[in-house]
Amino acid sequence: MTTVKPILLAEDNPRDAELALAAMEEHHIADKVVVCRDGAEVLDYLYCRGIFSTRQEGNPVVVFLDLKMPKINGLEVLRTIKSDVNLKPIPVVMLTSSREESDLAQSYALGANAYVVKPVEFHQFITAVKELGVFWGVINEPPPEGS
Amino acid sequence: MESVTQEHPVAPALAQSEAGHDSPAPTPKTGRLMEWLTHWSIERRVLAGFGLVFAGIVVISAISYSNTAVLIENSRLDTKSHELLQLLGSVGEALSAAESGHRRYLVTGDESYLRSYRTLVEQMPEYLRYLRGLTNEEADQQSRVETLERLIARQLKAEADAITQRENHGYQAVRHLALSGAAKNELEQIQRLMTELDSAEQRALVLRVAQSAGSTKNTIALLGLGALMQLLLLASVYFLIHHDVTERRRVATELQTRGELLEAANKELEAFSYSVSHDLRAPLRHIDGYAALLSKSAGEALNDKARRYLQTISDSAKQMGQLIDDLLVFSRMGRQDMLRTTVNLDQLVKTVLHDLRLDLQGRTISWTIQPLPPVLGDPAMLRQVFVNLIANAVKFTATRPEAEITVGSTNGSSSEVQIFIRDNGVGFDMQYVNKLFGVFQRLHRNDEFEGTGIGLANVRRIIHRHGGRTWAEGAPDQGATFCFSLPLARTLR
Repeated sequence: MTTVKPILLAEDNPRDAELALAAMEEHHIADKVVVCRDGAEVLDYLYCRGIFSTRQEGNPVVVFLDLKMPKINGLEVLRTIKSDVNLKPIPVVMLTSSREESDLAQSYALGANAYVVKPVEFHQFITAVKELGVFWGVINEPPPEGS
Repeated sequence: MESVTQEHPVAPALAQSEAGHDSPAPTPKTGRLMEWLTHWSIERRVLAGFGLVFAGIVVISAISYSNTAVLIENSRLDTKSHELLQLLGSVGEALSAAESGHRRYLVTGDESYLRSYRTLVEQMPEYLRYLRGLTNEEADQQSRVETLERLIARQLKAEADAITQRENHGYQAVRHLALSGAAKNELEQIQRLMTELDSAEQRALVLRVAQSAGSTKNTIALLGLGALMQLLLLASVYFLIHHDVTERRRVATELQTRGELLEAANKELEAFSYSVSHDLRAPLRHIDGYAALLSKSAGEALNDKARRYLQTISDSAKQMGQLIDDLLVFSRMGRQDMLRTTVNLDQLVKTVLHDLRLDLQGRTISWTIQPLPPVLGDPAMLRQVFVNLIANAVKFTATRPEAEITVGSTNGSSSEVQIFIRDNGVGFDMQYVNKLFGVFQRLHRNDEFEGTGIGLANVRRIIHRHGGRTWAEGAPDQGATFCFSLPLARTLR
C-alpha cells in the first residue's frame, strides 16, 4: 500500500478552512488535508519541527497557500519553499481573496505554480477548491520523492 | 499654504506686496513700476535688462568714438602747427642770414658773402610751398602767408637790385644801402608778420590742447559713468532673475511636498482597497458558504419560508460581493496607468458582443453596428466602456419583444469623435439625467433591473481620463441614447 501523501492547506481563517474541508469532503479527499493556521506552522510542517517534529517524513503533494496570514505571510512562505532545494519541487497554489495585480505578479515571480482567487459565491468556491484538490491531489503526478 | 494654489505669475506679485510691508514708505510710482516689472515674464525681464545694457554701451561707444576722432584730428593739427613753427624759425634764420651776407657783400664786394643769399633765393619757392601747405586749413594764416610771399619777393628784388648796382657802380653807389639794408621796411614787416604767424599758431595750439584735455576728461568720465550704469543694470537684471529663480524654487519645493503628500495618500488608498478586496470578501464567503451548508444539512427539515430566508441571505452576500468587485474596478480605473495606442473600435465592439453572447441567449435583438473610427486610448479601458454601455442596452430592453440597439458615431468637431449607443428600452426621465453617471446612483429598483450602480460611473471616469465627455438622452418608455466623445489622436493629452 502506498503512503497517502497529504495536501497542506495554509489558512488562518478557521471558517475558510472548514468551508474548504467541506468542499473536499464531497470528493473524499478531506482526510488527506493537513491544515496549518499561519506561515510559521507551514514551515514547521515542511521542516518537521515544532508540533510536527514527529510526523511521517515526506513532502505534501501540494500546498494551498493563503497570502494574508499571521506571523509569516504567504509570500514569505512561498519564497522560503522556492529557495530550498528539497522543498522547491512541491507545487504551490496561491489560494487567496486578493485580486491585486501586485500580489499576482509577486507570487508568479517567486515561483508559484498557480494562483486562484477565492470566489465569494459558495458554490463557485466549493467547485474551485474541489477541482484544485482533485487536480493537484489526485490527477497531477507529484515530483518523485527525494528529488 | 493658500499661496500654493496661486498661479505662477501671481506669486511674485504676492511676494512683492509682502516686501512692500517691510519697507515703510515705497513711493507709489516705484511700486507701480515694480508691479509692472514683476508682471513680466523672466524672459522679457532679462531681454529688457540686456537691451538697456546694450543701448548704454552703444551710446557711450558713440560718444567715445567722436571724442577720440577729435583727439586724433587735434593731434594731426598739432603736428602741422609744430612743423609750421619750425619752418617759420628756419625761414626767419635763412632770411636774416641772407640779409646780413648781402650787406657784407655790398661793403666788401666779396662774392663769397652772397652764398647764403643765393641759397635763400634758390630755396624760397620750396619754403613758400611748404608754408602754403601747412596753413591751407586756416584762412587767417593763409592770408598772412600770401602777404609774406609778396613782401619776401619785394625784399629779394630790392636786394637783387642792390647787388646789380654794386657790381656796376661800385661801393659808393650802394653805401647807404649797405648800412641800413636794401629793403629795410619790407624786412621789418616780414619780421612782424612772421611773429604774428607764430603767435597765431601758438594760440591755436594752446586752444587745441585745452580742447583735447577737455575731451579726454569727458571721455574718461563717460566711460566711468557707462561702467557704473552697466553695473547697475547688471545688478538689477541679477536681482530680477534671482527674484524669479527664488520664486520658482519655492514653487518647486511646494510642488514636491504636495507630490509626496499625494503619493502618501495614494499609498493609503491602495492599502485601503487591498484591505477591501481581501478582508471584506472573506465574511461574505462565509455567509454564503454557511447558508449553503445549513440548507444542505437541514434542508429536509426546513419549510419553504425558512428556505427562502436562507436563499435571501445567500443572494445578499453575492450581491455585496459583486458591489465590492465593481467598486474595486472603479477605484482601479482611477489609479491604473493608461496606455495610449490606436484602438480599432469596430474590432472592439465585435469582441464585446461575442463576450456577451451568453446574456443574449433567448433574446431577440436587432443590432445596427455602424463603422466606427479608430481612436487613441487604452484598449482595456475602452472595452470596459463598451461592455458597460452595451450590457446596459441589453438589460434595459429585456421587456421589449424585439429589442433594437444601435452603435454608431457622429462627427462632433474636427478635434473629437462622438460615439452613441441607442436602445428602444425602458428609457429614463430626463430630470434624473444628472444622477445617471454618479457612483451607486440607480434609476430603477433592483427587482426591476439588477445592478450595482457603478457601471456608468466607471464609463464616465474612463472617458474623462481620455479627455472626453459623457452625456445621455432619453424619455420614459421611449429608449435611451448614451453618448461619449473621445478626442482625436493629435489632441489626446
